[in-house]
Amino acid sequence: MGGGALMAAVAAVVSMGRPTWSMRVARVVLVLAALAVLGWLLVLPLLAIFAEAFRQGVAFYLDAIRQPDTLAAVRLTLTVAAIAVPLNMVFGLAAAWSMTHFEFRGKSLLAALIDLPFSISPVVAGMMLILVYGKDGWLGSWLEAHNVQVIFALPGLVLATVLVTLPFVARELIPLMQAQGSEQEEAALTLGAGGWQIFFRVTLPRVRWALLYGVLLCNARAMGEFGAVYVVSGHLRGITNTLPLQVDQLYQENFSAAFAVASLLALLTVLTLGIKRFVEWRHGGELNANT
Amino acid sequence: MAIEISRLRRQFDGFIALDDVSLTIGDGEFVAVLGPSGSGKTSLLRILAGLDQPDAGSVLRDGQDLLALDARRRGVGLVFQHYALFPHMTVAQNVAFGLRVRPWRLRPKTSAIKASVENLLRKVELEGFAHRYPAQLSGGQRQRVALARALAIEPRLLLLDEPFGALDAQVRVNLRGWLREFHRSFGITSLFVTHDQDEALEMADRVVLMNRGRIEQIGTPEQIYRQPATPFASRFIARGQSLPGEVKGQQLHLFGHVWRIENFAGNDAHEVTVHVRPEDIVLTSLPGDGLKAKLLNLRHVAGTVRASLLVESMDEPIEAEWSERDWARHHGPADDVIGVHFQALSVFASDREGRVLARATLHPPHASFPVAVGPWRRVEA
Repeated sequence: MGGGALMAAVAAVVSMGRPTWSMRVARVVLVLAALAVLGWLLVLPLLAIFAEAFRQGVAFYLDAIRQPDTLAAVRLTLTVAAIAVPLNMVFGLAAAWSMTHFEFRGKSLLAALIDLPFSISPVVAGMMLILVYGKDGWLGSWLEAHNVQVIFALPGLVLATVLVTLPFVARELIPLMQAQGSEQEEAALTLGAGGWQIFFRVTLPRVRWALLYGVLLCNARAMGEFGAVYVVSGHLRGITNTLPLQVDQLYQENFSAAFAVASLLALLTVLTLGIKRFVEWRHGGELNANT
Repeated sequence: MAIEISRLRRQFDGFIALDDVSLTIGDGEFVAVLGPSGSGKTSLLRILAGLDQPDAGSVLRDGQDLLALDARRRGVGLVFQHYALFPHMTVAQNVAFGLRVRPWRLRPKTSAIKASVENLLRKVELEGFAHRYPAQLSGGQRQRVALARALAIEPRLLLLDEPFGALDAQVRVNLRGWLREFHRSFGITSLFVTHDQDEALEMADRVVLMNRGRIEQIGTPEQIYRQPATPFASRFIARGQSLPGEVKGQQLHLFGHVWRIENFAGNDAHEVTVHVRPEDIVLTSLPGDGLKAKLLNLRHVAGTVRASLLVESMDEPIEAEWSERDWARHHGPADDVIGVHFQALSVFASDREGRVLARATLHPPHASFPVAVGPWRRVEA
């Protein structure tokens, strides 16, 4: 049955004539299969989180969220994201610009390096930071001498988050900017525009939606990051616990409170993706027209 | 604004894009740089626009070194092949761009910018389109927006890269005449790059023919057609086709005929090339006269007849072109062997590097052909 449906689906794509009965069946079967998988794996668990969070009533839910430690975790998560995301935005723009407009040695190496954080485990990324900035790390003694706390403090959390979310903006921009080429920038140059004028008036408007898209994805990941942050945070409740770490700790003590906080985190992420959908829906035509 | 380009060289790893290119463009002239792809014409354009730097050579504008100015300050308008319009700006914003980005001391007032944009859009016949986006325009309209945008900065040199390359054939032919007139009314020194012979010959005052990074010939369209300087020029402009001829002493040997050529110093040449143009292959009036040619196929194209011919012992067919009238007059029985005669032949002697040492145009005499008696009378022999 599966093979037959697949063949019919392929035929439905390739054929230009009137769809036959089997093609229509194939289309319905494939769409339903995709929806079922997504519903089972994604929507159902997400609903389960919210259901579990509210099981002991709204009052308990609000109380769980209003705990000082939880509020501190929310504040810390937002602070880390507010520092890490703009850093990644600047890095992504710089990387995409240099990949598109310059020819240099090691260009393919740079492209591979940008993808590296995607392929290394976040835990390993966290350990790498410990090895460099930790107490016994390469820079550890120097940092200690200058009284700078990186690991088990905000700088470490930001570093870990930046490292893990590094590819998001760059990955979104590079293919688009490479497809667009340098012609419009060159045209602006011959018309007398300077470097910043070209960037702000020509390049940025053309990639703004892709940039926003990348930033939103980066933000969703920055707020949800667990592995790397887990290693460098030290789990000091109310001080270095971000929202995901707080959820993890609560989970081991107070089951329902953990779900309440988890739903908060899920809400932040869903909100981000909602904005992304809205941007796509609102400016979908422009996104296409500019490429 | 005379532009003097001298001895430009540009090399990309292993590939010579420009090889010792020298050219002078007169004030207000409309010059075409013509060549096949990879001939270096776009490299020349980019260097003039300041988007690339040559390895050697100089470009002077009225004695001022143009290469010392960066693209931003050069005052050279460039119209890109695919227009490179800014898709997020309206037509008016696109045209105004060059004025808006000026440093504030040189920037015209908003009202002045608006007026000059309106003026330019009127000149390119796009008055009603100021608030449209490029995506809402046709190819020909986009091209005129690109032209207006380049002209807004009042450039002293206008460069056009394959101005009609991205348009369909019908629009292309219409725009040719329009651009030619436009240049006349503006009088701005212009240089355009094209690979299309018709386009270059029809529009330009002078044609610069390029091949493999070198200039093969510079001349008016008529000069290049009548007296191609090199076998390449003959092939590319005059549709010259190779014939298996040899030069011995002062004589050309071709298909068993021997014709005398005057003043041809090609004795120590590495290679001799004999070319004939399609329109110089004429039908003989008497059947069985002239060279025997086997007719491979025949196409009737709006008033002209094009034929592929195997002449005498040749393996490769050559193309001939006659008017429909001549074909009707000479066409004999339904035989696919006809008699032809070469009205004019171009002979080139070149050395090992392909440099032309001597060239001559030969008009082989023929019994059945009108013979000129005196400069004013023609008598049928």
